Amino acid sequence: MTSIDTQDLTKEYGSNRAVDHLTFRVLPGRVTGFLGPNGAGKSTTLRLVLGLDRPTSGTATVGGRAYATLDEPLRHVGALLDAQAPHGSRTARDHLRALAAGNRIGAGRVDEVLEEAGLASVARRRVKTYSLGMRQRLGIAAALLGDPPVVLLDEPSNGLDPEGIIWIRELLRRLAREGRTVLVSSHLMNETASFADHLIVLGRGRLLADTPMRDFIHARVEPRVRVRTTDGPALRGLLTRHGYEASEDDEGRWTVHHARVEDIGRLASDAGLPLLELSAEEGTLEQAYLDLTAAEAEFTSTPAQPQEA
Amino acid sequence: MAFAPVLHAEWIKIRTLRSMLWALGAIVFATAAFSALAALDGGGDFDPLFAAFFGVSFGQVAAVAFGATAVSSEFQAGALRVSLSAVPQRGRWFAAKAVAVGVPALAVGLVTGVVSLAVGTAVLGEKANGLTWTEGLRGTVGCGVYLALMALLAAGLTALLRSGVATLGILIPFLLLVSFVVGDKSGTVADFLPDKAGQVVLHETPEGTLGPWSGLAVTACWTVAALLAGAWSIRRRDA
Repeated sequence: MTSIDTQDLTKEYGSNRAVDHLTFRVLPGRVTGFLGPNGAGKSTTLRLVLGLDRPTSGTATVGGRAYATLDEPLRHVGALLDAQAPHGSRTARDHLRALAAGNRIGAGRVDEVLEEAGLASVARRRVKTYSLGMRQRLGIAAALLGDPPVVLLDEPSNGLDPEGIIWIRELLRRLAREGRTVLVSSHLMNETASFADHLIVLGRGRLLADTPMRDFIHARVEPRVRVRTTDGPALRGLLTRHGYEASEDDEGRWTVHHARVEDIGRLASDAGLPLLELSAEEGTLEQAYLDLTAAEAEFTSTPAQPQEA
Repeated sequence: MAFAPVLHAEWIKIRTLRSMLWALGAIVFATAAFSALAALDGGGDFDPLFAAFFGVSFGQVAAVAFGATAVSSEFQAGALRVSLSAVPQRGRWFAAKAVAVGVPALAVGLVTGVVSLAVGTAVLGEKANGLTWTEGLRGTVGCGVYLALMALLAAGLTALLRSGVATLGILIPFLLLVSFVVGDKSGTVADFLPDKAGQVVLHETPEGTLGPWSGLAVTACWTVAALLAGAWSIRRRDA
């Protein structure tokens, strides 16, 4: 089982606690979105998982083992932390060849991942000629180098063009379908909503949520129904009688709060009210996330610790 | 993890950076060029062997730049994190880095020794007649070992300071100024400075307390200390 586990993971930089008693498990076969505002501790957590930073207390393991004890770790875990990391004066291919050599991965695999990342035609160009989007693709190619069962990506959509965004979305979904463990940090809600099955949300280094994305949204965003009818006053009367709160916009479209289409549709039908439109208004991840962080802010409004990015 | 693949990776990193290759070339060029100039100027109570190797004082700057750059490139924009994600055994990783710096520096240093001696003696002409074959060999080997040790000293110091600029800012003024200033006073602690001690091997007749090989051993001690300090820093600190 190749899950990522953290147990009571804590990291302090001086007096600043970047990661605060974090316990979670990232499971294979799905894409887990790793959310939180800047400075919430996402990148620090990823570095702790990769054994790059030493935890103040607690443990982080991949497949039950500390990362630093893995033999040829690129075959177990692929990671993109910082797209700027490859040396600008080296070609993309040479950068990947050096990484591959250290983990006894063949040069053939280097060309494969370059092809997969859409960089084959520019593989022999120096990295300093690359756009940010191309560097992201190179970082993702490096993460895939060892064909690892676990993939960690820190803000992979940064700087990607629309085509690149679609590519990464499909890549992440495919990696999860293949049964891999995929953890992707982001602060872009719409982007995360497009690929994540599960969410882990951090705030000030602490775990705020660890839940399937659907549940996360449904628990936090009130369900609403949009209705259009030929007889507005009748609709208003009907809704009021049944205890629904509703409002009408300028174009005669009604929004019914805390309601589901099943209930409103049946009410209208029983009352013989002609409907022109009836639709559920899906809550967005962004709404749910803002609701969570607003609630969190209420509890933590007193001494605001300075946060490090 | 085995050592050989890690060393292979580090060697690829060195040979795929043009600046590394330039620095290696500069070692040969600077040494030979300044040795030739010094040989032209040779007069008074001069040491014919050191005249042929005089350029080492300048070639070592290129060797220091080579060692410092090889390590400092890891401290740019999270490169070290990529390296240590691929090779989390930090001690082994740094050992591979040191070998990947030391071996090419030694090879280029030996070539530098041969070229510098050839150019130097050619320019010296008759004044080099007193040099024996063994003295020339000793100078050539010493030149190679010395330059490799200086490159490794810089590599270790860079790992400790996590900055190539800081390393060069310390080493280059030290090599070019301090040693020239205190360098003439033999028989003092100055004999035990890394450059002064190591350059004894380049003289026909050693002055001061150290001999050719004991001098190189003193330089090696400085280098080992710098490498151990660098390894300690790499192992202990967050990447």
